[in-house]
Amino acid sequence: MRTIQHFSILENFTILGLLLGGTALLPAQTPQGNGTESFFKNQDYQPPENCLPCHQRQYNELKSSVKSGYRNVSPLFNGLEVSGNFLSGGLLRPVYANSTVTVSGVPLNTNMFTSSPITLTRQDQAGFCFTCHNAVIERQGDTSTPVVPQLTGLGSAGAAALFGAGFSPTTFRPLRDYVEVDSNGNQLLPPTIGGPPAPGSLPSLAAAGITCDVCHNIGGPDLTRSFYQDGFGNMSLILNHTIEKVGPFNFPTAVKGDFHVASNDQSKISFLKSGAFCNACHDVRVPNLDLQHLESNTNTGGSSVHYYRLENLSTEWQIGPYNSTSNPFGKVTTCQDCHMSNFPFAGNSFYQVGDLNITSPTPAVYAQDFAAVPGVSTEGNYPLPLRQVVSHYFTGIDVPLLSLSELQSRLGPDYPDVFQPGTDTHGLPYSIESRREALLGAAVRIGLSGTDASTTVGGTFNVQLEAVSLTGHRFPAGFSQERTAYVQTSVTDNNGFLIYQSGYVVDKPHPNTGEDAPDGNLNDEDIEHVHAVVNPGAFIQPYATGTGNNGHNNLVFELGPDNGPDDRLYSGAPEGLVLFRNELTRIFLPGDSLGRTDANGNPIKVAGVHYEETFSASFANTVDNYRSLSPLRPTFYNYEVTLPTQAQLSALGITLVGPLHVHAQVNFEHFPPLFTRFIAQTTGPNGPSGAQMNLVDEARIDAYLKNITGITAADVTVDLIK
Amino acid sequence: MRTRELLPIFLLTLAGTAVAQTTTGTTTTPGTYIPGTTFQNINPNYPIANPFYFEGKIDYEKLGITTPSNFWEYLQRGMHYQDDLFDTGDALSDYQTALSLNNLQKGSCQLVTASTLTGTDTLPATLSPPPCMFTIRLRLAYLVRQTNPAQAIELYGEVLQIDPQRLGVNTLTAEAYVIMAQQATGAAATTAYQNAIAAYKAELALSPVTQAFTALTADTANNSKVHWELAAVYQTLGQNANAVSELQLYLQATQWHSDVYPWRIPLAQSMIAQLTAQLKAPANSTITREKK
Repeated sequence: MRTIQHFSILENFTILGLLLGGTALLPAQTPQGNGTESFFKNQDYQPPENCLPCHQRQYNELKSSVKSGYRNVSPLFNGLEVSGNFLSGGLLRPVYANSTVTVSGVPLNTNMFTSSPITLTRQDQAGFCFTCHNAVIERQGDTSTPVVPQLTGLGSAGAAALFGAGFSPTTFRPLRDYVEVDSNGNQLLPPTIGGPPAPGSLPSLAAAGITCDVCHNIGGPDLTRSFYQDGFGNMSLILNHTIEKVGPFNFPTAVKGDFHVASNDQSKISFLKSGAFCNACHDVRVPNLDLQHLESNTNTGGSSVHYYRLENLSTEWQIGPYNSTSNPFGKVTTCQDCHMSNFPFAGNSFYQVGDLNITSPTPAVYAQDFAAVPGVSTEGNYPLPLRQVVSHYFTGIDVPLLSLSELQSRLGPDYPDVFQPGTDTHGLPYSIESRREALLGAAVRIGLSGTDASTTVGGTFNVQLEAVSLTGHRFPAGFSQERTAYVQTSVTDNNGFLIYQSGYVVDKPHPNTGEDAPDGNLNDEDIEHVHAVVNPGAFIQPYATGTGNNGHNNLVFELGPDNGPDDRLYSGAPEGLVLFRNELTRIFLPGDSLGRTDANGNPIKVAGVHYEETFSASFANTVDNYRSLSPLRPTFYNYEVTLPTQAQLSALGITLVGPLHVHAQVNFEHFPPLFTRFIAQTTGPNGPSGAQMNLVDEARIDAYLKNITGITAADVTVDLIK
Repeated sequence: MRTRELLPIFLLTLAGTAVAQTTTGTTTTPGTYIPGTTFQNINPNYPIANPFYFEGKIDYEKLGITTPSNFWEYLQRGMHYQDDLFDTGDALSDYQTALSLNNLQKGSCQLVTASTLTGTDTLPATLSPPPCMFTIRLRLAYLVRQTNPAQAIELYGEVLQIDPQRLGVNTLTAEAYVIMAQQATGAAATTAYQNAIAAYKAELALSPVTQAFTALTADTANNSKVHWELAAVYQTLGQNANAVSELQLYLQATQWHSDVYPWRIPLAQSMIAQLTAQLKAPANSTITREKK
């Protein structure tokens, strides 16, 4: 038996500190009160270009952030949103104030952003993805011609339609089709659905996504839109639209002209600077009933709105060690401290977590700079002070899956190169690819010190892996059921003979997306714990909601040779893949069809209940968000490795030579290739729309899905006793 | 004070934090909102069954459990003992308690079947008794399979009653039968091996290799682990033709997936050659495999 170890600062971490951290939840922020609407004069939402003259640096940084322009044109995001609409019959698209849709006789004329509180599941569904990605544009749909139109039909076609004649997959466009305009500002749709922008098109405000104004017009949290009146999820923010711009400084310098005023509202400033500001979108709660965890909207009238937690990042931070003083830095470390600071390029810290001596970048180190361009931004050229400023790169673990020319054609000719060389004046790489790789390198550490010291031919020995996440949330986070981090482990003898491997990939054909032979690329291969092919649906007329037309269930689902996750979790077996990926699950009920056939070609129907991993957030009815690594919590995984017997070695003509070498490393995978292949197929010509929607295909997967291998590693040797 | 000596205090502290968050998190009116503090007043880490209990493992200190009070809490503590503290004795005890409180024979749990659903094929929000849990049974079975394979087999049987389509359980059953066979002699051993073969075949039947499957994956076989282990059973029983057949399927199944023990692939080729030679000209030569 051993005792579990958590972190300790090497020298100055005291019992008193521990007790304080546990027995009283120390206020993470100074109480500030709620945000309010603004009393300043109205101002239309501004394109980022209007902020550029005075805030060049921030503009440039934000431009390369995936949460600004890229996310709106992302083939994966658009494909995911399309696939959810195929399954539901268009229910994820927004409705607006003039909607004539009804739900059981009740008008449905508000969407997620304009419903506060949310009392109908359909309100939550309406604009479910769009609300966080483009809240301002969605809200404008109530008062002007919507950028993303209301659908004229919802649900199955014909008599069963929920609205109009039913959803039409053949005319359905991805969201990104709506974000381009002509030189007069009129919407310009691509000539083909999902295709390249029309000649002469320009990115609109809708293409800019999370702009300067989205954050700097903040009024505060919209508590009644959140399910627990705490500002988590559902884009629960009050977004003002005035000349009052909220920045991080308590005594901002007066702005030249009347373009905007710098807010002096302390509650708004504090909110903007707090980690809580991020909660509204970095908890994502899908309005599907979770069959293992009942959660409902607690607001008056909202009890029928149930959900499961897709992205749980903000909750993880809220209740984790970094929203307290019980962490190696002894102070609250906010989202901004890692994603808007010079982290991880500002020196290292040293501390201990469990058995591991950690060297890791220091968070919350900010550059000194001007907050605006001197000489152009203040009245009478009033001198600007040097301040501690934040970066607007918002670096995470995502990079665009588009070429530079595609990015520039959709988002403007100044869109930066993902691989742009060089560093900025703060010493941060321009390249988002470089930044995300460095961020990943700071996310996790592993050790092998608990591994058995020796073994024998034909014997079994234990490799013990200790893993610790250093992130403010679990690792990985975000869309953590698809974002994938895993441990690649090998045991070799002193001559390099491979005795054991886990977390490996094999180059293989993928006939479902046209790769009929191995292509020499390992980045597009799935790890070997399960083999799955997700049903992409088919073009079937008339259209109907559900899996019959639209798939989402698994056409193939079988265990692979490296089946660690299930064996470890459910059986407690010390073997197989160590996978830090949460899991979406579909609980099939008695009588449900799995969507595949038995050996005789008959549909497999469930007699009892059946739990199966699903790769579709829309199809999931429960989730396991505890497979990712908890921050600062040492977690142990054992591998029981058996060596070949002498007879087997003789048959192989091998002599094992000691010592044995155990190597473990953590790899990061952008998305599981099988998930991207599902998106490719369901939005492809054989999917429910019957047309190529030009989002993802095998060529794009091959070109842009790049794994980051070896983000941390550990080695140990094991004596081979004769 | 060394780190290890601080640990019990720290665990308690973490549990205290969870409790503090549970009880002091406030659902507030807008005027009292405090960024970073205002948070739901229910512990988000403690799932409310609906009607299924969470089949997974939650970081134990986040649950705020002082003493387990039901089968699910005993299961969670058992997994904490086993995985975090490497204390299999206490884990075993907790799994047994969990099983006694979620027990099919005693009627303290139920199988969810078609008859459980209401007239509109709807699952009731609450079930009394609660659904039987498979994790309790799988965890307990794995710990006892060497010392009491018969109990393990019985527990695996209950898992298959809960979820007949669950992958891997028939393999675990088969492995328990193999252990039973290795601990037995004579007819009892042979019977156990025959049962193992049946269980392995049941596993293969759950993910059949069909034309559609091959068209999607390029695989002509799957479940390499099952074929490898099944070949070993056949070989033990002297059914070398069947062993060769299974080894060939093993090679097909590993073609695009390799194996965690990649040396098994050339070894299988070698074994096929030797066994085939034996089949053609029976001799006394033997091939040794590792023992499971």
